[in-house]
Amino acid sequence: GDALLPAPQSISILSTNMKHFLTWSPVIVQGATVRYSVEFQGEYEREYANGSWIPISECSLTTATVCNITEDISATVAYKLRVRAELGATRSPWATTKGFFSRAMTSLTPPELRVVADGHHVLVELADMGPSFQFRVLYWKKGQESRVQQRGMKDVSSVVHLDTMEAGAEYCVKAQTHVEAINRSSSFSPTQCVRAQGDTSVWL
Amino acid sequence: SGELYCSLPNPKNVRFESINMKNVLHWSAPEGTGDGVLYKVKYAVYGVGKWIRKPECRNINRTWCDLSSETSDYEEQYYASVKAFLNGTCSDWMETTRFNPLTDTKIDPPMVSVSSTDRSISIILTAPEKWKRSPEEESISLLQVYPGLQYNVSVLNKKTKKRWLFSISNHTLIVPWLEPGTAYCVSAQIHVTTPLLDSGFSKEHCITTLKDK
Amino acid sequence: KTFHFGACRVSMSLAEIRAGFTAIKANIQSRDPIRTLSILSHPHSLHKVKSADRCCIAHQLLTFYVDKVFKHCRTEDSFVNRKISSIANSFLSARRRLGQCREQNNCACGEESTEKFKQILANYEGLNVTSAAMKSLGELDILLDWMEKSR
Repeated sequence: GDALLPAPQSISILSTNMKHFLTWSPVIVQGATVRYSVEFQGEYEREYANGSWIPISECSLTTATVCNITEDISATVAYKLRVRAELGATRSPWATTKGFFSRAMTSLTPPELRVVADGHHVLVELADMGPSFQFRVLYWKKGQESRVQQRGMKDVSSVVHLDTMEAGAEYCVKAQTHVEAINRSSSFSPTQCVRAQGDTSVWL
Repeated sequence: SGELYCSLPNPKNVRFESINMKNVLHWSAPEGTGDGVLYKVKYAVYGVGKWIRKPECRNINRTWCDLSSETSDYEEQYYASVKAFLNGTCSDWMETTRFNPLTDTKIDPPMVSVSSTDRSISIILTAPEKWKRSPEEESISLLQVYPGLQYNVSVLNKKTKKRWLFSISNHTLIVPWLEPGTAYCVSAQIHVTTPLLDSGFSKEHCITTLKDK
Repeated sequence: KTFHFGACRVSMSLAEIRAGFTAIKANIQSRDPIRTLSILSHPHSLHKVKSADRCCIAHQLLTFYVDKVFKHCRTEDSFVNRKISSIANSFLSARRRLGQCREQNNCACGEESTEKFKQILANYEGLNVTSAAMKSLGELDILLDWMEKSR
């Protein structure tokens, strides 16, 4: 009964900022609701567990054509994914990703950064991006581009104090993310400069 | 072991409650037994072949037993168990889950002391100490137990209502360039990355910077 | 995070392994009824391993889990199986990082730690394979606590 249902096509993985999604094209059967099931296989399963596959329960018998695989792609090794269509008792062959996927291939975008001056103090606010992320913040006094200082930050759930500024000086700040698990960093956010004595961030 | 036929309902919710590695066994009385129930307690070091009775918690009517002394080696893991007695009958032994003092303890917030000048406040943080048997015993700071220990310090300007967060590894912080004659409220939290342990924030310590000279 | 295993300085993240284990710790440990026997911590404690031997013992233990433990821990619980897969694949990644340094630094095992690891294998073989594997998996925090002391 399996051969009547075609396997899903155009199977691919979209991965940005350590969030990974498997997508595929729908299998169309007139007047019927086709469901899909997804399984994954890490290097361990391939090399040490007889090539076994592990089902992702959130994407078992789903009608969606996308599956969030982030929780299961949780080691920096090579993974394979597969999906099949199901209609009642009929199942299609598996459609398996070509080649391997490693989370080290994720694309990293610069962090959202907001810089605020509060009196003599420079403060930064960074959008939380999840537990995998740390932030590297570079800052310097305008005109002294060679004397850049840097701070590493991890839990950034609120406004974080960066440093104190000399009166009247202008300070510039930029930030990038770093993911220790894959040892990669994003590009830098645009530079923002603020001036001491209550200025708010000015895009320059 | 020559015990009576045990038909008494069992003590419930037997568990360790641990703060700064003061490890106290707690449980709830068996259902429907009213007053007069007595208990005895035993514990075991995981992987070591014997259960050990706790004499100070034999035939007690309270529903807790301090096992801090017996579980003070945080490189070991433990089980504890409670049995109830009433009118000549008893319950089964009811066990805890496996207790790992290093990961299963809760940590108190740090002690915070604040002083000020006209334009700055300086903050000194002290991590809590690990529980110890007696005041004479040598103190062990939780800083020694958790080398990756850090502090998150929150500073609130009461005038502007703006709150800043500092994340520091050492125990002192000076915040310069503040406004004279202004109230600032400081509270701090301990953050351990592995194992993942966070204390709550301490209560706020408010101080006003001196008026401009 | 950088870990020092004897001559080896290895950058590794154990936080994900720790989070994965914490998520299934109660489930796994409840499947191990034997209180009076440990695979990793008795009669020898990992905490007594000499610094020079840490690299060799760490690599042996990572290999022990990959080769002997994880494959015998399949459960009826899909969530638990997925977390075990996550931990097992993270172990592969960690062992690869430690292995690269180990080859360059020839992390030899001293006599004492060879004896310790033999005892661990003896503890393991003393039980039927499923019980031994489940007990070893339930003791993962003993291994992680020891490894994290190397930071």
